[in-house]
Amino acid sequence: MPKQQMIAMILAGGQGSRLGVLTEYIAKPAVPFGSKYRIIDFALSNCTNSGIETVGVLTQYSPLELNSYIGNGYSWDLDRNLGGLSILPPYQSMAGSDWYKGTANAIYQNITFIDNQKPDYVLILSGDHIYKQDYREMLRAHIEAEADATIAVREVPWEEASRFGIMNTDEAGNITEFEEKPANPKSNLASMGVYIFSWQILREYLIADEQDPNSRNDFGQNVIPAMLGGGKKLLAFTFDGYWKDVGTIFSLWESNMDLLDRPQEINLQDALWRIYTRNTLQPSHYVGTNASVVDSILTDGVEIHGSVKHSVISSGAIVEEGAEVKDSILMPGSVVKKGCKIDKCIIGIDTIIGENVEAGISVKEGREDFVSEKFCSDGITVFGSGLVIADNVKIVGNSMLFPKEAGQTCDVVLDSIILGVI
Amino acid sequence: MLTDAMGIIIADNSRIQLGELNVERALAATPFGGRYRIIDFMLSSMVNSGVKHVGILAETKYSSLMDHLGTGSHWDLDRLQQGLRIIPPYMQSEFFRSPSPQDINGLYDFLKHSVHMYVIVAESNIVSNISFTQFVKEHEKSGADVTAMYNHDSNSFGAPNISLTFEDNRLVDMMIDPLNPTSDCSSLGAVVLSRTLLMDLLTQAIARGDSLFNTEFILEKYRELTIRGYENNDMTLRINSLATYFSASMRLLEIDVLHKLFKSENRIYTKVKNESPARYFKDNHVSNSLISDGCDIIGTVENSLIFRGVNVGKHSKISNCIIMQDSVIMEGAELKNVIIDKDSVVRSGVRLQGSPDYPVVIRKGVIV
Repeated sequence: MPKQQMIAMILAGGQGSRLGVLTEYIAKPAVPFGSKYRIIDFALSNCTNSGIETVGVLTQYSPLELNSYIGNGYSWDLDRNLGGLSILPPYQSMAGSDWYKGTANAIYQNITFIDNQKPDYVLILSGDHIYKQDYREMLRAHIEAEADATIAVREVPWEEASRFGIMNTDEAGNITEFEEKPANPKSNLASMGVYIFSWQILREYLIADEQDPNSRNDFGQNVIPAMLGGGKKLLAFTFDGYWKDVGTIFSLWESNMDLLDRPQEINLQDALWRIYTRNTLQPSHYVGTNASVVDSILTDGVEIHGSVKHSVISSGAIVEEGAEVKDSILMPGSVVKKGCKIDKCIIGIDTIIGENVEAGISVKEGREDFVSEKFCSDGITVFGSGLVIADNVKIVGNSMLFPKEAGQTCDVVLDSIILGVI
Repeated sequence: MLTDAMGIIIADNSRIQLGELNVERALAATPFGGRYRIIDFMLSSMVNSGVKHVGILAETKYSSLMDHLGTGSHWDLDRLQQGLRIIPPYMQSEFFRSPSPQDINGLYDFLKHSVHMYVIVAESNIVSNISFTQFVKEHEKSGADVTAMYNHDSNSFGAPNISLTFEDNRLVDMMIDPLNPTSDCSSLGAVVLSRTLLMDLLTQAIARGDSLFNTEFILEKYRELTIRGYENNDMTLRINSLATYFSASMRLLEIDVLHKLFKSENRIYTKVKNESPARYFKDNHVSNSLISDGCDIIGTVENSLIFRGVNVGKHSKISNCIIMQDSVIMEGAELKNVIIDKDSVVRSGVRLQGSPDYPVVIRKGVIV
């Protein structure tokens, strides 16, 4: 097949364990986002809009829903005769079989796939970031600087810099040092987890990294420092658009709310940079006679009979009469029944909230046995996917409701269904 | 599900024209229900019934129809074999011109190269989520030459209406818009017959120089053919005129009608636009309305259908209206019983009012 200038490899195999129950059955990139999207839509759409025609999606953790969601890439215009979209799970071979041990190992295990495409450059992306970026600009900078690797960075507030992987650079933007979560940061340029490598150089370093028994086979921790140590030219490329890692319950909630509060920053209405998503085959949404919808985003198949304020409502979700939903995220197919008061909650896929349930930050007296300091913060309450919640219960903020295990009794979660593949 | 049938959809009907809405587009391509075109219903019904080979008979004004259908991928009809085929009229030579614009030679060729036993022929003025599987099965079992689908709600949706009279379940009379109907069976614009029989009928028609093809063309042969009836009680909206187009649209606001058409396990497919979710701002008021993706809602919307990408400006008031794709209703405009076609703009402070039986229609791309 003809040579390709640059192909993309999307790392979509991580569990996203900090999202708790939301990644119980599905990988983080397949988690619903922003009313009609899944998180991975952003990386895939960026590739399509940047003219990249070959995309490998590396999957590992709970891939069923992600695989069927992505299909052959048709929804992102990635169903092509040559190249197109490939799903790349770990596989068995004569050399043995192994899970993807780290981000670098995942690419290492697919060296043959990349070689077959004969690219000059390989773009490595995460499947779990919300942003719009034209990778062509970054490639241009990479080629002009004759760099071996180019890493997208963005300026973060100095007081937060110690939470990120920080790139120290010289005046020309060359990376001189990489520090993971430095206590005393010397720069405020944080890595976005978007890398362009000249393929032949990266190939050498991946093979060397694999042979190092002490390596954790991670781009940030191992490959980038090794390249710096080897005197390679690493360029920092500053990106100043909206970017968010939705790795925690709080950042997922906050990023959804950004679509309501700061819509111009990511601008989903940009006709020249569409975010493509899989079609849900639902009719236009219906807003009933006694309904009220304020300061919110809604999509196909939604039915609102109650009150919705400052919320993100996903396809097929239903809010019944007299129910009040505020500062919340309703994932696809969820139902909030009559008389509920839902405040600052995330309701998982197909979950049914019984009548007159009160849940969230404004509940003063209620069940506290689901409070989860590990996952939840800022009063956000999370209901897992496929749950049926009993009528009339009250659940305080910062709770996380998991599915009921077989044989376990729980008077709040009446039932839970293992999700079928969409 | 494995129906051995192909489909023919007749994209236009010279007796059913929806005024300004059909000036530039065929009836089948008329936008309907917030994000659909009328043809989506018949096409999806066929696909959901296992029909994998569909010909669209396009007489005139088919540019918008072709744009909508594309390769048929949205209906899963982009197949290696068969799939979707648009059959436009064509001239066989410079010197031979068919007497009417609709040329049935193309249809004959399409049928000749198919392999299916049966053909479902359907009009495009019916909005319904129909299963044709049982229809074809009953036809096969009965041994009839032709089976015609009908229901009993003939009076609810106005003219033109094809009234069918059956005796012992055999069609004995067919009348168009009878003043005093002798039967309450009303054609649903869908018939099934064997492919070879349809080809025979077409060769005869070509030899006689006929060239108008529709379901009446088949039904009026009730004297020489055995035509049986098949009653279908699925929720059906008939579109026979601008007034019935308007009232059928408004019926989608009944939640029961909405569910029957769209929330069964058989989905209605349409062209995907990848619009962003609809945004509702602070001072809006929306009640009993269908709203689509890509809309910005700031004003008041009541009892209306708003298509994809519409802007409803501040202090504007829209009631009993159909606002089509990418139109803009600017600040303070007031609309009642109005249909605004695609890409139009209603400027600040403009007030338009029609009546439910005679809605005001603003043509595509007009600035009012």
